[in-house]
Amino acid sequence: MPTPTPDTAHMPSLVDKRVIRPAQTALALDLVNEMDLLRLKAIARVYARGLPPEVTWEDMLQEALTRVLVGSRLRPEGVPMVAFVAGILRSLRADYWRRAIRASGNHDTVRIDHENAESLEVVMSDPAPGPERALVALQELAAIRELFATDPTALQIIDGLGQGLSAEQIRRSTRLSKTDYESARKRMRRTLIREGLTCEPR
Amino acid sequence: MRTKVKTIASEVRLTRVLDAFAQELVDASDEEISAAATDLGMDLQKWSSAFAGVTYPSRPQLGDFFDLEALQARLPTDKKS
Repeated sequence: MPTPTPDTAHMPSLVDKRVIRPAQTALALDLVNEMDLLRLKAIARVYARGLPPEVTWEDMLQEALTRVLVGSRLRPEGVPMVAFVAGILRSLRADYWRRAIRASGNHDTVRIDHENAESLEVVMSDPAPGPERALVALQELAAIRELFATDPTALQIIDGLGQGLSAEQIRRSTRLSKTDYESARKRMRRTLIREGLTCEPR
Repeated sequence: MRTKVKTIASEVRLTRVLDAFAQELVDASDEEISAAATDLGMDLQKWSSAFAGVTYPSRPQLGDFFDLEALQARLPTDKKS
C-alpha cells in the first residue's frame, strides 16, 4: 500500500514566518524602551547623513541593535544603552568610510553589515578623504545650516562645534550668556528630534 | 596643499557636528521627545509613524499585505528548468 504524501503546497504553515526586527526584540527583552528607540532613530538619522543612498539609517539602526543582541558588541558596565548603541552607529559610519576607501581600488560593493576583524587590520590605502567625500561633507554641512537657518545663535554654535570648540569656548567667542546658550541648545535639540522622528526613508 | 587641508577639514567638521548632535539626542528627555511628537501630530502608540523604520519598515513591503509563499505555490512553475 503506497504511503500517502501530504500536499505541502496547500498546507497551512504551522509557524509564524513573520520576521521580528532587532528593534522589536530589543524592546521585548527590555534592553530599551520606546522612548530610547525614538532617540536611537533620531541618532541613526544623524549618523546616516552624507552616506550614499543604499546605506539607510534604518539598516544602520537594525544592524547596531543586532550587534547588541548577538553579543558581538558588549556594553561596558555603567554605560547607558542609548549611548552605547549611539557609539555603535558612529562606528558603523566610520567602518563604512574605511571600507569605501579600501574598495575604491577594486570596485567592491560596500555594505554595512559585514562584521569581521577588518577594523584591526592595517589599512594601506590613502586614509585622506577623496574629493567626493569632501564634497558630500560640504553639502551635508550646508543642509544642516539650512535646517537651522532661522536661528542665528544655533548657526554660531554649529560653527563652533565644527571647529572643535568646547561649550565654554563657543560661549566666549560668540559672547552668549549661559542662559542664551542653553536656550539655543534646547531649540536645536527640539529641531533634531523633530527631524529624527519623521518617517522619510533617509 | 591648501586645497587638501580644506577638504580634510570639511569631513572632520561634519563628524564633529554629527557627534555633538548625537550627544544632544542621547541627552534628550522623554518630555522633549513627547513634545516633538505632539508637534508633529504623532501619538506615540505602537504603530505610530514615529516608529517607522524602527519596529516596522518605513517602506511597506509586499509581504506585509500578501502571503508570498502561498502566492508562490499558486504560480505556474517553469517546467523547462
